[in-house]
Amino acid sequence: MFPLSRFRVADDSMRPTLLPGDYVLVNRWAFRRRAPVAGEIVVLRHPHNSSHFLVKRIASVAGPDTVFVVGDNEARSEDSRQFGPVARGLIVGKVWVAAMR
Amino acid sequence: MSVLHSILRTMDRMFPARVADAHCDIPCGIYDPHHAQMAAHTVIRMVGLINDLPKPGPNDPPEKRQEYEAKLARYIATKEQHAELVKHEIRILWGDYFKPEHVQQFPQLHDLVWKALKAGSKARQEVNLQAAEDLLKATNEIATTFWKTKGLDTVTVKAPYPTERMTVYPKFH
Repeated sequence: MFPLSRFRVADDSMRPTLLPGDYVLVNRWAFRRRAPVAGEIVVLRHPHNSSHFLVKRIASVAGPDTVFVVGDNEARSEDSRQFGPVARGLIVGKVWVAAMR
Repeated sequence: MSVLHSILRTMDRMFPARVADAHCDIPCGIYDPHHAQMAAHTVIRMVGLINDLPKPGPNDPPEKRQEYEAKLARYIATKEQHAELVKHEIRILWGDYFKPEHVQQFPQLHDLVWKALKAGSKARQEVNLQAAEDLLKATNEIATTFWKTKGLDTVTVKAPYPTERMTVYPKFH
């Protein structure tokens, strides 16, 4: 499995860090040997719709296998404040490079 | 525009990247309970029209019966569509607009939405004026709550529609 995935950012929920139209390269192997830590930006699958991807910042590590994710633009973000902590298995990887528009 | 972005954009044209952060909404931030309120008035109006529609008698010609059936079918279809529309619009407000802090401020919100959806289903299933009235009442209460979260007071007035039922408008100062 190639470790990098490309994603295009589609909305405002990570503003001002990421804007719609930006690209992110995601390292899918980032959390093979270590757990995610607060502050890291990750791409994850939506817990209620696994075909949708979200890009969020890890606010805290909620438990051994769950994390709490929040968008930087809290007013415009659907995240753990609505859907609760997410399983680590839903994390696709860590945002390695962000290519700003 | 960075070089990396240009490269990725070119790649995207050939092999589209997956989209991150696409929940079903943009979100655009444009919400208004007015659609739901109008649709709830429509449901009441359709119940009225159905009840007032003269039924053909046994001695009426078939054309008369056909006309009756055509009108009835249209009223029923419109009633069902609009009851469903109210439910759809309320679900959008509930799921997308209202945030946990709004629920803290208005703890009755979930119950209100639930009542509205139940009344919406009943108003759709039956020719039931009371269900239609309940649907409008709950929708108006949701509208009041919505405008309060925007910091706006509301006025409850008789709507300028044939239903002559009450409706809630925001008060702009």
